[in-house]
Amino acid sequence: MIGALVLLGLIVAVVWIGVSIYNTLVTCRNRYKNAYSQIDVQLKRRYDLIPNLVEAVKEYLKFERETLEAVVKARNQAVQASAKAAGNPGNAEAMKALTGAEAELSGVLGRFLAVVESYPDLKANKTMLQLMEELSSTENKIGFARQAYNDAVMEYNVAREKFPNVLIAGPFDFKEAALFEIEAAEEKKAVKVSFR
Amino acid sequence: MALPGRATMDFFESQASARRKTALLVVLFSLAVLLTIAGVYLAVVVACAAAGKVMQGWWHPWIFYNAVAWVAIVILGGTVYKIIDLWKGGSRVAELLGGVRVHPNTTDAGEQRLLNVVQEMAIASGVPVPAVYILPQEKGINAFAAGFTPQDAVVAVTRGCLQALSRDELQGVVAHEFSHILNGDMALNLRLMGVVNGLLVLALIGRTILDSKGRGRSRGRSKGAGAIFLFAFLLMVVGYIGVFFGNLIKSAVSRQREFLADAAAVQFTRNPGGIAGALRKIAGWTGGSLVANPRAEEASHLFFGDGMKDRFLAFFRSHPPLRERIRRIEMAYPEAAPGRSSAAGGGGDGNAVSEPLFADAGIQALAASVRLDPERFLASVGNTQAPHVAYAREMVTALPPAVVEAARDPLGAQSLVFCLLLCEKERTGEKTKDWEDRLDPAVGREIARLRPSAAGLGREHLLPLVDMAWPALRNLSKAQYGDFRVGLQRLIDADRKVDLFEFAVRSLLTNRLDAFFGLAKPRRIRYRVLDQVQVEVFELLSILARQGSRIERDAGDTFQKAMEALDAAKSHTILAREKCGLSLLDKTLARLAETSFDLRKRILNACLLCIVADRQVTIEEAELFRAVAENLDCPVPPVIPQTLPAAA
Repeated sequence: MIGALVLLGLIVAVVWIGVSIYNTLVTCRNRYKNAYSQIDVQLKRRYDLIPNLVEAVKEYLKFERETLEAVVKARNQAVQASAKAAGNPGNAEAMKALTGAEAELSGVLGRFLAVVESYPDLKANKTMLQLMEELSSTENKIGFARQAYNDAVMEYNVAREKFPNVLIAGPFDFKEAALFEIEAAEEKKAVKVSFR
Repeated sequence: MALPGRATMDFFESQASARRKTALLVVLFSLAVLLTIAGVYLAVVVACAAAGKVMQGWWHPWIFYNAVAWVAIVILGGTVYKIIDLWKGGSRVAELLGGVRVHPNTTDAGEQRLLNVVQEMAIASGVPVPAVYILPQEKGINAFAAGFTPQDAVVAVTRGCLQALSRDELQGVVAHEFSHILNGDMALNLRLMGVVNGLLVLALIGRTILDSKGRGRSRGRSKGAGAIFLFAFLLMVVGYIGVFFGNLIKSAVSRQREFLADAAAVQFTRNPGGIAGALRKIAGWTGGSLVANPRAEEASHLFFGDGMKDRFLAFFRSHPPLRERIRRIEMAYPEAAPGRSSAAGGGGDGNAVSEPLFADAGIQALAASVRLDPERFLASVGNTQAPHVAYAREMVTALPPAVVEAARDPLGAQSLVFCLLLCEKERTGEKTKDWEDRLDPAVGREIARLRPSAAGLGREHLLPLVDMAWPALRNLSKAQYGDFRVGLQRLIDADRKVDLFEFAVRSLLTNRLDAFFGLAKPRRIRYRVLDQVQVEVFELLSILARQGSRIERDAGDTFQKAMEALDAAKSHTILAREKCGLSLLDKTLARLAETSFDLRKRILNACLLCIVADRQVTIEEAELFRAVAENLDCPVPPVIPQTLPAAA
């Protein structure tokens, strides 16, 4: 009788601990997914801004068609990559693709801005200035949201590798989540758009 | 029982009543456990008899003790587990039911409208803007509020709610949910969930055994297996008796609260058409208020409308019938009847408040020196009224768009808070040299961008803006919040002295955010008698009396009056002015926050006496009072600059 009660108590305790760990992991996972959707909102905003920007400068940059096309192409690729990542944030492959596409887009935007520098008319254009301002503020927010996401991913990964959590994480398919990193050191200083 | 024309809601009174309901809950729960034990005992006896054991009579102590032990373990275990699980607060419940968080910076128009409605209601009632969730899978019209305290509250609505309701109706529903927040129904509801879960566990165990036996049946049947089968069946039956009691308890505790919340919704919005329209739409909607999520049963009492399919007896409903709810609203407010309501036709964001109460307020023009009406101020504490909601809406619309947008984004929100403090410091000529050096450059850039729009804000807008920034700040990561906190403290300490506005900002933000990020322990009630906190009360009232009196020598009188109102010992005299710094207030309030609600009410009333003593309430005094109330977890509606005809 007492033996049975002790056994029962043990079983209850083990199940209890297991369920608590499971819940913790779910909470952590939700948190980083939430954090990703913060990035997603800002990325979308940026992707919406870019066509407007291209539209605004088209007139001035007739002879720079190549640059403009490259911007549009890089933007479209980034849109696709981000759609995949949003569907499955933390997935290593999707995050890698997004990192690549974002690095490409940043690089192309950097070149585009260098081109703009050489057109004084354009530099004084009000719409252009406003769009640039918005773009830089969005870049800022993306950087910040990415930091929050990476913090959350880190927390989740630590929680899932800890003992005894790892015993639950395996069977219940809590996969390791990938960070959203910036690829090369030179892209780290965001796009510099504060030309005055 | 008619709907009272106005649900007079004393915040403290309703908190106390929620506590009484908790006592009732405990009694009913104990009763249910006892009856379940008896049921299990009988089940075992019957099963044993069926197994062919020789049983003599009905009394078998050994079986009885076992039944007591097992039932107690299972039910209490189930209850405690659920309550611990729910201890994570409202967001846990929302996630359980499949809710998805709506981010403050969402681009979806419908979601943004919902956020706006919630934000206005929160500013109007002085509670922190709750996190908002959507149940995207649910097509019925329904909503709920959950959480243990107003600080961790969430409001969730179904997708159907967003699609079907006009802004007025949505406002009615949200107001109804806010009433649950302000009335302390939420904590009660979560405890109720725990209790019902415990009672449900038995039924689940019975069903699981039954299922496994059903599958293994082909392996031949012994008499023992048959007995186990019978036992499992009986256990399930007993379990459902538990569920029966669970529902009985739920409906006993929650139905009256729904009428109260409906009445409060009218009080908040002064628009009976809104909530009545929402209820009527549920009645006519194909999905009604049904919630499809399988976990909805245990949470059915949280919802705005009845989330479950028809129950065979009205007795078990967690909600009063729709028709009855509509009828009560229409009886009290004939204008809410269909055809006469401005809300029934629905409409977009434009036609929100049916009475433009503050159309001519010219709120932006009001200077910080506005003198406020003490009587109105006294009446507004813990008592949200329609003008507060209208005022909040008016104010948010009057703010510069850049600022409003910034408040919705984590980076923008923290930069905005810094910006407000910087502007205020500029105004008072304080130095903040070197402060910006150690900031994250992204924050620095954002501050520079916001600075021009923030510079023109009136003083009465500042604290509401801090309120608006708080939901976005919750999206910071823990590390980012750490940085923000350090930056905030450094900015406040830049001149080695804490002024009133800085104190209020810090009270509003760090109190709530520390709790949210798990940096501060939740408060417990430790002091129930005034004597235990006499020193603190003495300090608090001294500071307020100094602040609230225009003329230096009145402060002593004011202080004495406030102490008398509290029945505190009269031997104290007011603290010297130089000792009445705001740094003292922090320590004092931390201790007072652990007093009982009853005591807090008395203390806050005494504080009010101090502030209105000179028959004037300045914006600064109102801010101070708000900060004190925030520290004591008591919601205070915003101060409405006086726009009514001057008192005779």
